Order: sequence, then C-alpha cells, then structure tokens
Amino acid sequence: MAAPPRLGCAPLALAPRADSALRALRASSRGQAASLTSSGPIGDHVGTVPGAERSQAKSADEPRLGAASRDAPASAYVHLPFCKRRCFYCDFPVRAVGDDAGTPAVQDAMSKYVDLVCAEIDANVRLGSRPLQTVFFGGGTPSLTAPGLLERILASLRRKLGIAHGAEISMEADPGTFDAVKLRAYLDLGVSRFSVGVQAFQEELLRGGGRSHSLADVRRAIEDMHAVAPPSWSLDLISGLPFSTPAAWEESLRMAVEAQPHHVSVYDLQVEEGTPFGHWYSPGQSPLPSDATSSAMYVMASETLRSSGYEHYEVSNYAKPGHQCRHNLTYWTRRQCYAFGLGAASYLMGRRFRRPAKMAAYRKWVHSLQGEAVPMGGQPKESLRDQMEEELMLRLRLREGLDLMQFENEFGAAAREAVVGVLAHFVDRGLVEVDAPCHKSLLSGGVRQAGERVRLTDPSGWLVSNDIISDLFVALPD
Amino acid sequence: MAFACGAAPLEGTAGVSGRPFCDPDWRAVVGARARISRRRTRSLRREFAQRLLLCAGGLAATHVVGGPGTEYADGAVVKVPVDCIRNFSIIAHIDHGKSTLADQLLLKTGTVSTREMQAQFLDTNDIERERGITIKLNTARMKYKAEDGKVYALNLIDTPGHVDFSYEVSRSLAACEGALLVVDAAQGVEAQTLANVYLALENDLEIIPVLNKIDLPGADPERVMKEIEDVIGLDASDALLVSAKAGIGIEALLEAIVKRLPAPKNRVSERLRALIYDSYYDDYRGVVCQFRVVDGEIKPKDSIQLMNTGRQYQIDEIGVLAPNQVKVDSLYAGEVGYLAASIKQVADARVGDTITLTKTRADEALPGYKEPQPMVYCGLFPTDSDQYQAMRTALGKLQLNDAALSYEPENSSAMGFGFRCGFLGLLHMEIVQERLEREYGIDLIITAPSVVYRCRVAGGEERIVSNPAELPEPVAREAILEPFCRMEMIVPKDFVGPVMELASDRRGEYQKMQYLTEDRVTLVYILPLAEVITDFFDQLKSRTRGYASMEYSLLDYRVGDLVKLEIKINQEVVEPLATIVHKDSAYEVGQALVTKLKEVIPRQQFRIPIQAAIGSRIISSQAISALRKDVLAKCYGGDISRKKKLLKKQAAGKKRMKTMGKVQVPQDAFMAILKVSKGGD
Repeated sequence: MAAPPRLGCAPLALAPRADSALRALRASSRGQAASLTSSGPIGDHVGTVPGAERSQAKSADEPRLGAASRDAPASAYVHLPFCKRRCFYCDFPVRAVGDDAGTPAVQDAMSKYVDLVCAEIDANVRLGSRPLQTVFFGGGTPSLTAPGLLERILASLRRKLGIAHGAEISMEADPGTFDAVKLRAYLDLGVSRFSVGVQAFQEELLRGGGRSHSLADVRRAIEDMHAVAPPSWSLDLISGLPFSTPAAWEESLRMAVEAQPHHVSVYDLQVEEGTPFGHWYSPGQSPLPSDATSSAMYVMASETLRSSGYEHYEVSNYAKPGHQCRHNLTYWTRRQCYAFGLGAASYLMGRRFRRPAKMAAYRKWVHSLQGEAVPMGGQPKESLRDQMEEELMLRLRLREGLDLMQFENEFGAAAREAVVGVLAHFVDRGLVEVDAPCHKSLLSGGVRQAGERVRLTDPSGWLVSNDIISDLFVALPD
Repeated sequence: MAFACGAAPLEGTAGVSGRPFCDPDWRAVVGARARISRRRTRSLRREFAQRLLLCAGGLAATHVVGGPGTEYADGAVVKVPVDCIRNFSIIAHIDHGKSTLADQLLLKTGTVSTREMQAQFLDTNDIERERGITIKLNTARMKYKAEDGKVYALNLIDTPGHVDFSYEVSRSLAACEGALLVVDAAQGVEAQTLANVYLALENDLEIIPVLNKIDLPGADPERVMKEIEDVIGLDASDALLVSAKAGIGIEALLEAIVKRLPAPKNRVSERLRALIYDSYYDDYRGVVCQFRVVDGEIKPKDSIQLMNTGRQYQIDEIGVLAPNQVKVDSLYAGEVGYLAASIKQVADARVGDTITLTKTRADEALPGYKEPQPMVYCGLFPTDSDQYQAMRTALGKLQLNDAALSYEPENSSAMGFGFRCGFLGLLHMEIVQERLEREYGIDLIITAPSVVYRCRVAGGEERIVSNPAELPEPVAREAILEPFCRMEMIVPKDFVGPVMELASDRRGEYQKMQYLTEDRVTLVYILPLAEVITDFFDQLKSRTRGYASMEYSLLDYRVGDLVKLEIKINQEVVEPLATIVHKDSAYEVGQALVTKLKEVIPRQQFRIPIQAAIGSRIISSQAISALRKDVLAKCYGGDISRKKKLLKKQAAGKKRMKTMGKVQVPQDAFMAILKVSKGGD
C-alpha cells in the first residue's frame, strides 16, 4: 500500500537566512540609485543560486539570458495538430484523424498541412543572423507525422532561419504512435529530444482521460526509448485526473522514476471550458481530487522526483542535470521565439501573436502572407507594464527565480520596490526565498548587489503562485 | 438587488446629462390613490371637451415676432396658436414599447429622420447602451399637419421610469393635458401602468388607450381592452391598435392625439407661471430647465424668479426641443421649452418649482412642489484612499445636477475615508455609483444600503439612524422605528398563494385582495420598506415566473422588534456589514449571511472564521478553509497571453477588495445582505 501523502513544506534550507535577507532587501530598495550607475546590466549566469545549476549544453553562440528580449530570436515552435483523437481534457488546436493515421486521406491531409507550414516559414523574415538554437514540435501528436514530412519542415527551417550545430530539437511523442524504427528516423533528421505523453500508469485513468493509448503502449514506448537512447527524453504525467488517488499517483511517480527518463513533466490537470471534462467535472469536486488531495499530489511529485535526482527547475518540470528543456526556457525567460502552424503563438519584436486556430482560417491567413514579413496581426508592441507582468509571472515559475538587479535595470526602482514590498510578506510564511551572492552583502544594507534573487519556495510557494503573482500585479506602479 | 426592475437592474437611468429620466419602464409611486370610477372619468372627459371649445381661437393670429406663425430652424419649428398645441406623455410598462412608439411619432412627423434616429438618438450614453435601454430625449416638439389642414405643435414629454423618481413623474405629467396609455396587447395591464394611470388621472389628463404589438401572435386586443375597462375604469372601446415596431396605426394615433387630447387653456394674459419638470446641469450654460408655461409668456431677456427657492436670474436663452435645442423669441401659455440663465446648480432650480417674472410676480406658486427626501443610505468608499479628494469633487459635481443626492464624510476604521450618501431609492443609488466609477474613474466599495430608522432614546428623543453601525446601544434605546410602505401587486391567480407567502415572510400585513379579471388579482400589503429594498422584487418575479408586477409607496414609521446583527470576520467586527433586522428573523438572516459571505470571500492562505453576532451572542459561525492550491500548471508560448489575462483578472478582483484586518473582502461581501433570501426558499 502506498504511504499517505505528506503535506506541508519541504525543508527550507534558506529559512534561517530569510530574515536578514529580507532586511537587506528592504534596505537596498530604499538605497540610492547611485549604486546602479556603476553596475551595468547583469547577465544571469548565476551559479550562486543553490540548486540552480545551469548545466544544459551550451553552444558557443547561445544568448545571454539577461538581455534576452533584446536579442535576436533563436527558437522556433512548430505546431503539428494531428491526433488520433482528442483527449477529454484537451483544448489545444487539434485535428483528430482516427486510429489509423496511415490511410492515404490522412497522409494527404498531413502533407497539405506541412505544405502550409513550409509556406509560412518561407514567408517569414529572419530577424538577426543567429541560427536556431532550439526547435520544438508540439501538438497535437507530432509523432504521428511521417519522418519524411518532418524532414521537409526542418529543411524549410534550416534554409530560412538556419539551425545551429548542437541545437535542441524536441518533439512530442505519444505512446502507440511510434516504434524504435520511427524514432531512429527522427533522430537521423536531427531530433535530439522526445517528450513522451505517458500521462498515467493506470489503464483506467488513461481511458478516463480519453487517451488513445493503453498501458501496454506506455511500456512499449519506454522500451523503445531505451532501445534508441536519444540524447534526452522526457516522460510527461498528469496529476489530478478524475478517479485518481494518492496511491495511484505514488505508483505513477515510482514507475516514472523507474523508466529513467532525463526529464519529467508533471502537469496538474486543468479543467478547461468547452472540453468534455469541462462539461462533466468541476475542479476540486469528486471524481476530481479535492484541492487538498491534489496539492498533496503536487508535494508528493516534488519530493519523490527531487529525491530521485531530478531538479525541480520549473513549476511543473523536473530534469536531471543538463537536461532542462532549453526551448521551454526561452518562454520562461521571455526571449523571442518564432512560431509556425495552426494556433501557434510567436513572440517577436515585442509582440505576441497567435495564428488562427481553425484550419480554414489558418490556410487563408498563410495564403494572405505577402512576401517576407514578421506576422504580428497588427498588434501594438507590448507595453512596459505588460513586459513587467510577464517577467514576474514567468520568472517566478523558475527555480532560478527573479534577479532583482536585472529587474530593476529593466523596469526601474519603483517596480523593484513594489515587488520586494509584496514578496517580503511571504518570506515569513515560507512561501518566498531570498538570497544574495555573498553573505556579507546581506548585512551591508543600502547597496544593491548583483545576483540578489527572489523565488517562490518549492513546493509551498509554487502551490499558491497565482495568489502571490496577482498580489504583485496589484502592487506594481502604473 | 433592484427591487422594482427584474432583468435589467438599472433600467430607467441617467439621461443625456445624467439626470434620471425617461425609459421604457414606467413606474411611479401610486400612493394611497383613490380609485377613479368610470363615472368620474366620463365626467372628466366632458369637462375636457368643454374646455377644448373654450380654448378654440387661442392667441390672435397676428404675426408678432415669436407669436403664432413665426418659424424657426428653417421651418422645422413653427409657432402655433394655443388651440393647436398638444402636450402629452406616454405611459407604458417596461417592454410594452414606449421608446419604439416615441421613435415612430418622431419619424412619422418628420421631426427626426431615420438616419438621425440611428446616429443620434439611439446612441446615448454608455450606461444606457449596456443595459439595453434606449433613452432618446426627454421632450420632443413635433410639427404635425393634421387632416383638418392645420399645423399642430405636439409636445411629447417623457418621464422618468422608476419608482425612485415618482415625484419627477408627477411633475412631468402635471405639464401635460393628455397621455397615451400604451399596453402590450398580449401581456395586459401591469401594476406600474396602473400606478401611472392613477397619477395621470389625478393630474386630470385625458388618456388614450393604445394597444401595442398587435401584430404579434400572442396579441389578444379584446381581452386587454376588457382589462383596461375593468381594471382602470377607462373606456377602451376606442382604443387604438398599433404596432410601433412595424409602424402600423401611427397615422391614426397622431390624428387621435390632435382630436382627442385637449389643447392647453389659453391663459396667456395672466402673470407668468411656468412649471419646471426637469432640469440638468450643463458645463457651459449652467442649469438648463425644461418647463411648461402655465400662465403668461416668457421672453429671452426676462428677469425671472423661482418662487420656492426665491432665487432670481436673468435669462440667457429660451427655446424649444425639436428635439435639438432651437432658440425662440417667446414661449407662451401652453408651450413647453427650456431656458438657461447661468443657474449654478440644480438645487437652485428644482423640479416642481415655479418660474415667474421678477417685475410682475405671480401671487401663488403652482401646487405640488416637494423637497427631495432620501429614502436609502449607503457608504461609498474609494478602494484607493488617494481618490478621496477626487471623490469629494465628483460628488459635488453630481450634486450640481442631482438635487436629491445627499452626502457627508464618513470615516470608519475598517473602510477608511469615504462618504455616507442618501438616495431616493436603490436605482438612484446605482446610477450615482456607476457615474462615479465611469465618468470620474473612481473605484468604489459600496456598503449595503439601509433604510432610515428612527431610534427613540431615553428622554423621548428620536435619533435618525441611516447607518446601522450607529444604532445606539441596547441599554440606551427605548424603541426602534422603521419605515413601512403600502405595496400593491398584480398577480395571476394561480400564484396568489406563493405571493402571499412571500409577503408574510417579509413581515407583510395583509390589506386586501381583489379580482381584476377572471385570472388576475391585485394584492395589497403593508410591509417594512427594509424588506422591500432587498430581493423582494426578484423573489416576486421568481415565484410568479415573471408574471407579477408591483408598486409601493412610503406610508409611515412604526415601532418594530429590531436588533443589530453584527458580522465578525477573523474575529473582528466588520462595521459596514452590520445590519438591523427583526428579532424573529435574526437567526435565519445571520445563518444565511454567514453562508453567503463564505461563498463570496475568496479563500486566502489561512483559515478565516466568519461569525454573526447579536451583542456578545454568536448566532452563526462558519469558516473559509485555507487556500491549498492556486497555480497554473502549464505556461508555454501559446499560453502566456491567456494565462496573464487570468492573473490580471485575479489582480483586478483584488484591487477591488478592502482589507479587513488580514482578510481581503470583495465588494460582493458588502452587498451580501441583499442577496440573502429571507424566508421561503
């Protein structure tokens, strides 16, 4: 039998320091801006944050994260919407094609879609000269796509935007849609990372979620991963599925660890409007686990995976050293990103733009693209306020947290003060951690130090992160 | 929460310049009005007919500047003899088609073109548009050439459509000789219609029954005509059948207005007396008054005096509304128009006041003038204390235009600095709140409205208590008195049971029941006003599937067995949540209120006990459990904008909360008492 879920906070290594760190923060936010002028923009190659190793493979021309939003884009997301069927919780732009994706009609539809995506890539303008460092094929179920079709998209990307040597090329793959042969074909095309949508290790939970695969498919998928041994692979789980229990969850976590992936994503189920789950269930009410149970599941995941050598580097993501998803980090560090395909959202030149999510509208839109342009749907550039809010909402998802000096450089002393003022309340409650590069600076007061960081604690702070982040939004100066 | 309006909580709202007036809903306090017998109606009609004969001829048709025959605005406005003037209002229940009919009259007389109608008159202020109500104009002078070959000036005088503004309605009706009683040919007579008809008859108006929507499948003109005869005592045999929407029967209606409504009395030779029936503040010209000349004549350079406030002014401009302002050289007895005279605030030229000339002052003011009396009070606090000064300025500006609004500073430890404001009723309150928020950009926390209680303390002194938190301690008080009203409801007979149950749950005292027709009944109760301003109307609607209508008027103050119910959140008394309730329902209300608060106060990171107490006795206690999980699991490229919106929404909600101790309390909590259903379900 499974042990009962353990509630409460993980031990806070920083707790004894929190008080003095807080004092230092308050002091420094009162301090003179004069100290700023001498310290230029600081990158975020930190290394001083405990447990925040930035150990993923770095190629020579990887951008400095600190100046992220100003750097040329070096990431691309490609949406491949085809799925055998739509899962009951899914609200992504998806095209269900049935259990047999091999029929000529389906292959033809996929081929036509790939043509559209390639046309879109061709009509895009390359910003800057840096080749792509990361590519992510998301879906849908990208592993339904024949390697030949994927090759065409990669060729378009390579031709148009360039793909750096050593780039991370990720794709989502669902059990039951691939075998070792297909995986090797993807690897031969340059794919370096798979994200396997296992979701659960219980047949009834898979069925209850409307997944197209069985537990046997899951076992085969894991075997295939071991057989082809890609440079990196992730095993993705969903917690809080209907009828799931703490015991089942513990079993899933144990099986996930036993599968020895390099990376684990654990998503707490979000019941979205307009999905079958949205019709059937209400969050926190049976057969969905109660809030208390699902928060306990979150804590279990964090404890189990961290004790198995995975770093909890983002709210829902865990990685062995060197295996963080570089592509997803571009989102959380607010770097620019190209995006192609149905419903895909790009972030270029300060504008977030989402492509049409319906196939006919997307086709029409691609056909309307005139020559080379940066599509942004006529949107204005994001305001500083928008950027500030995104910076907080995204950075606080990361274990690495928010670099206060960098935040102040970008958004000003008043914004920093507001953030520190709000977060200070949460330190005593064990929801926020503070640290500074050297202990001495904590006592010096008044002088801002490079590398001062704040982060939400794992798991307590992250569990109520919306509450904390919305408090920050309220406090930010206009 | 609106007690006299179901679907749209703010129907009958601010007009062009924000003062409350005209809308499709048409209600007014009926008061304890004597039922007017059919016989009396007939005798009234005879009298009107005689009057009409007497008036024929009117002003001599010599061409005096400003006199009959003078044209303005390229002939769009023509002055006519008094016997060719018709002043009338439209009486209709909400949704029975008043606005559409008014539009049709404007179109058919060529006063407004279809294009203008769309561009200008339907496009009024935000509040109206959003609430789906259209307020076009308050007065429209129409030029109409009748079948008899004569040119008539038809003045449509619109009226406020809500019980809060019954006084204004009565003054508007006093400016008319006739009224169109518009009744939906399927739905029949409603309580508000009835109330306004009584008001019209009291003002001696000639009434033309008009059955609207006759083209709709459910229309049953026969039945409705019988109802008008049975219920109101009006002869409906010559009722007009129209469809305002389809434009059917409008020509016949215009002819009927000319033929059946009496002309004003020709009293042009008397000393000036003009009745102000509406006034609003204009940033450039000061108060603009709309008035009906009852006696004499008024000219642009006249020096005038307002007989009730005693103030004197030099006129800057007079004119008519056609429906845009058109300056004229004279307005004589029987005509309606506007004037501007650099009047600083509406309180100086109130509705109901009489305008006379300084030099040749009339002996007596026109009857019916009343000072406004706030019925409902609530606290208005800026969510951001920095906005206190801005709010003071805004209230001052609103008061320029709203003589019935009263306010004084209120300072509470829980809410900070704000104002205790008095209103004519809940709708009036909502209008002021919305205007403060929209036009002046002030985020408000509003505390639950309270009626005005009187508390008798030792020594027989009576204290006015408009804020439950200020009720003297039990030891100090001898009695609490509360306002009672007379409530008249019209209900299909199948629902009489549930409605009587509702009324008695709300401490109603049965007065009488009467069958209006075979299947409709009028029920009269006397009940405490406090029970009415909560969800009474919502309950009435829901228990009768929307078929009932109601009307009430303030009666008197009566001693009640009342107690102060206090709410504690996280062990602290929250003053603005205090309420005065009847002892017998205190326990039930306390339970319901605590349950409701538990629903509307969002979970926070700690457990929050909520308690209801009478004095030191806790009568109900519950707790909001601590927030366990509030996290967005996924946030990738495609999600960022959407997820940020969610967080922004959450932040916007928090911005509108007041912090009570450690607990963030949203606006809804302060209104919870209104949502608490007392008795019944």
